[in-house]
Amino acid sequence: MSAVKELTRDLENKANDFRKLEKDIQKNQQVKKKYTIQLGENELVLKELDLLNEDTNVYKLIGPVLVKQDLAEANANVRKRIEYISAELKRLDGTLQDLQEKLNSKQESIAKLQQRIQTLQAGKAKA
Amino acid sequence: MAATPRMELEKMSVEHLRGLKEQVDMEVNLLQDSLNNLRSANARLEIASAALQDLSVRPQGKKMLVPLTASLYVPGKLDDSEKVLVDVGTGYFIEKTMVEGKDYCERKIALLKSNYDQLLEVTAKKRSIADEAGAILQAKLKHLAPSQ
Repeated sequence: MSAVKELTRDLENKANDFRKLEKDIQKNQQVKKKYTIQLGENELVLKELDLLNEDTNVYKLIGPVLVKQDLAEANANVRKRIEYISAELKRLDGTLQDLQEKLNSKQESIAKLQQRIQTLQAGKAKA
Repeated sequence: MAATPRMELEKMSVEHLRGLKEQVDMEVNLLQDSLNNLRSANARLEIASAALQDLSVRPQGKKMLVPLTASLYVPGKLDDSEKVLVDVGTGYFIEKTMVEGKDYCERKIALLKSNYDQLLEVTAKKRSIADEAGAILQAKLKHLAPSQ
């Protein structure tokens, strides 16, 4: 009798873990989405900057202030941002894969637990 | 060409089919949202392009009202309309000539239009899958309960 209780408690815990994993995956995907959009925007900016000749004026909006920027510096900044975002996206991809694997194995162990509980309960019913 | 996916759908169970249809319906909605966003962005660019066109024919020194907020306008005079500041994204502004500015607008409008067309194709395909799944689902349900 207590075996079934223990297993059911274990099942509940595993179910909670499963739900938490699902939430983590959702969050991960949202952050990935945000970064992907930023990456696209930065690449567009880089393309525009590349089209300019050296003496074109470039300004950056910092808060309420438009500040004149050096074209080379602006290029370097945008490139660095693109690198950073790409690295973050890669890291997030790795985390996502990791989470998916954990999710799958959690699902398997939940299924196994459910089976065990069922067999135990069936056995008791017979007895 | 449409035969193969249809056979796949036919093989699925009612539950599976229903889940698939729901998922594809959701995707179609998301795609439709994106399409609408693209259309409104394109509309804004067209307005910007028209405004540029108008500015370029105005003489220097022309009196105008400058918006400071949504409800506050201040009288001013048009300065050199040969130079324009273009917002290219992520907080960067580029000083361009009027011609370059117009060119920028044209380029962006063309880019958005091609994105829109591509997305339209994808949406149409997804929609047809959703419709097929729906039709087959109906057929199966009818098959399961013919006496009713």
